[in-house]
Amino acid sequence: MLFSSISFLYYFLPLMLVLYFLAPKRGKNAVLLLASLIFYGWGEPKYVLLMGLSILLGYGFGLFVEKYRERKAGKVICGISAGISLSFLLCFKYADFFIGNFNAVTGLGLPLWRLALPIGISFYTFQIISYTVDVYRGQAAQRNLIHLAAYVAMFPQLIAGPIVRYCDIAEQLTKRKHSFHGAALGIRRFVIGLGKKILIANQLGELCAVFRASQEKSVLFYWLYAVSFALHIYFDFSGYSDMAVGLGRMFGFQFPENFNYPYISASITEFWRRWHISLGTWFRDYVYIPLGGNRRGRGRQLVNILIVWMLTGFWHGAAWNFILWGLIFAFLLTVEKLWLLTLLEKSRFLSHAYTLFFVMISFVIFNGESLEQAFSDLAGLAGAGGIPLVSAEALYCLRSFAVVLVAGVIGAAPAVRSLAGKIAQKPAGGRLLNLLEPVVLAGLLLVMTAYLVDGSFNPFLYFRF
Amino acid sequence: MDMKKKDIILCVTFALLLAGGLVLCLFLPKSSYSDSERRMLSPMPELSAENVWSGRFMSDFEGHAADAFPFRESFRRLKAMTALKVFARQDNNGIYVSEGFLASMEYPMNEDSLVRAAGRFRYICEKYLTDENKVYLSVIPDKNCFLARESGHPSMDYGVFEKRMEELADFAEYIPVSDLLERGDYYRTDTHWRQERITDVAQRLLQAMGAAASQDYEIHTLDRDFYGVYHGQAALPLAADSLQYVTGDAILGCQVHDWQNNRRIPVYDMEKAAGRDPYEMFLSGSLSLITMENPGAGTDKKLVLFRDSFGSSIAPLLICGYSQITLADIRYIQPDLLSRFIDFQNCDVLFLYSTLVLNHSDTLR
Repeated sequence: MLFSSISFLYYFLPLMLVLYFLAPKRGKNAVLLLASLIFYGWGEPKYVLLMGLSILLGYGFGLFVEKYRERKAGKVICGISAGISLSFLLCFKYADFFIGNFNAVTGLGLPLWRLALPIGISFYTFQIISYTVDVYRGQAAQRNLIHLAAYVAMFPQLIAGPIVRYCDIAEQLTKRKHSFHGAALGIRRFVIGLGKKILIANQLGELCAVFRASQEKSVLFYWLYAVSFALHIYFDFSGYSDMAVGLGRMFGFQFPENFNYPYISASITEFWRRWHISLGTWFRDYVYIPLGGNRRGRGRQLVNILIVWMLTGFWHGAAWNFILWGLIFAFLLTVEKLWLLTLLEKSRFLSHAYTLFFVMISFVIFNGESLEQAFSDLAGLAGAGGIPLVSAEALYCLRSFAVVLVAGVIGAAPAVRSLAGKIAQKPAGGRLLNLLEPVVLAGLLLVMTAYLVDGSFNPFLYFRF
Repeated sequence: MDMKKKDIILCVTFALLLAGGLVLCLFLPKSSYSDSERRMLSPMPELSAENVWSGRFMSDFEGHAADAFPFRESFRRLKAMTALKVFARQDNNGIYVSEGFLASMEYPMNEDSLVRAAGRFRYICEKYLTDENKVYLSVIPDKNCFLARESGHPSMDYGVFEKRMEELADFAEYIPVSDLLERGDYYRTDTHWRQERITDVAQRLLQAMGAAASQDYEIHTLDRDFYGVYHGQAALPLAADSLQYVTGDAILGCQVHDWQNNRRIPVYDMEKAAGRDPYEMFLSGSLSLITMENPGAGTDKKLVLFRDSFGSSIAPLLICGYSQITLADIRYIQPDLLSRFIDFQNCDVLFLYSTLVLNHSDTLR
């Protein structure tokens, strides 16, 4: 089920909220779990069983790991648990990639498995791994299966993150407070996230689709596409994260932030501190640091960076363009660590331009259907192949999407939030904002409902990961 | 207002909107048809274990939930106004407004589709016609041809389109008509041309085919508003068109037979004029095979007109030059079945199609 759908907004959510707040405190996690299973099963009824099995295994291994963590066996059990979780991911997400490449190298014709990718498997697998590893590191195992299942399957963040680590919400699973203030913050966050998705991301996605279908490619069109896709993926993904954080807040949870205005970054290092934060910290804490991090000398650190970023790319998809995408960041981060960061500090403007340029290029590669298409898009940006500088269709799209693009650029920077903060500091301004907020949010919700009623199916980009 | 009050008001407002939406979704009566969009709305899917397990119930429910949403038309209008006025989008769902006319962005030219259309026409010619038949082709440009240039919307090169069609259909003599047309010859809210404005087109066609033309027509105006197909799709508050039709001696004396339903029908069907799509008043709308007889014709010339919906309104203007016109719409009838109904001997054959159909010719059988 999509957050940005009529069925979620006007059927699932109101029913869920009523049941949740009517349920006694002890039963709230059970309601949350049941609702989460329905939410997940709405799109993938068959794969509820797979997720259930993953949860049961995580629950059992958590108890074993806790029991044996002081001994060597604890490490082995933890490794087996992570291995089994990853094996599901390997089977469903990566099997055909490996078989296809094996066939290509050996000339054999092993049949592909062609398994449908269970939605959100990359996210909940990482959450289960984080749980058993956290238990191995000293966190108390969860003895209540419903609590653990509610954590893994919690619908706000189940299918596109943020990746909530067990240690971050272990306490909230049993002791969380519900308040009008928390709910109001959640509602505001949810509606803003929905707006980012429906009003900005979907429209920019439309522009990207027009570009892809166009027979009138031009250099301007390629650049328009590159900028649009960079904004599209940001508003799509951060919008989803906002909705997840907002929904969590309504139910009394405080999920970690996943985005912090990444496009204002002055280096790639900073960008990755602001973009998909929960994934970056997951790889840091569960891969980079266990590999030795920066504690074993510069050479080993660079190897670790390479491994982590190749895996980060691969996590996003079983295709070579994702691996290349990760390796580009490994290269840029390495160069920055070695000498570029000090150089970038000298010019704020150039450092921004450098960061935005490489992030945009990386997303062009990321969005390629294949490596060939990615390289073809890069060539188009450079004007290769004798394409014209400008085409009528590109100019039309520029005109038609100008306001959305400008709104996207403004919304990707913290200017509006800063302005609202300044106004709120003044007594009259604060009163005005308090008065306007419910009206504006209700109006936004109605406009977005109008887009949903009129619109077509627009799944979130990150569902495919 | 202090923060605490604001929080409570926000929570209550949100709860009321969601709960109100749920109650209305569940209990408000639902339409099965959208007049403005001219389509059946998605029904509530059947709830069964098989449907749920396969995921079909859920995917169908998404469509139903959007289609059955309360005040759907108002929400569609709100969306259209937001897209065009707030986001300054140049089109809404591919429909744009220019100088009070609604048009659909029809581009790019689909070469494969043109080849396919020409192939279908060639098949008919090779199957049924001899050297004695005179074969003609004419292409009707869609409204976009006259609006896009001025408004800056992307469009096909209609000159290239016609030339390519002429080359592909080298078995037919090409009769150009686009030079006779302008945007005012089309309804503001519909795809089609206005019958009262295309008498010159009919005259050009008749002259090119060596048939007698008439200019003696009386214009009548339909006593109801006409909201065309683009009006519903655009969901914008635009004024209605007026629908006019012409009569003359040949038209008034004409007898029309609908072979699809084996019945007599009027040239101008007033029941259809009062229905969902008043343009269907011309020869009763989408019918696969119709014969128009002109008992007062001073000739025994016959015409087989392969056509789309544009042909319904121009055919009455062509009848003055023929004793019989058979209209065949090969979107609805297999060409292989035509010999059961049509004797092609000594007939003129005219393929008269709009760019809208030629550019999406997978609808042609």
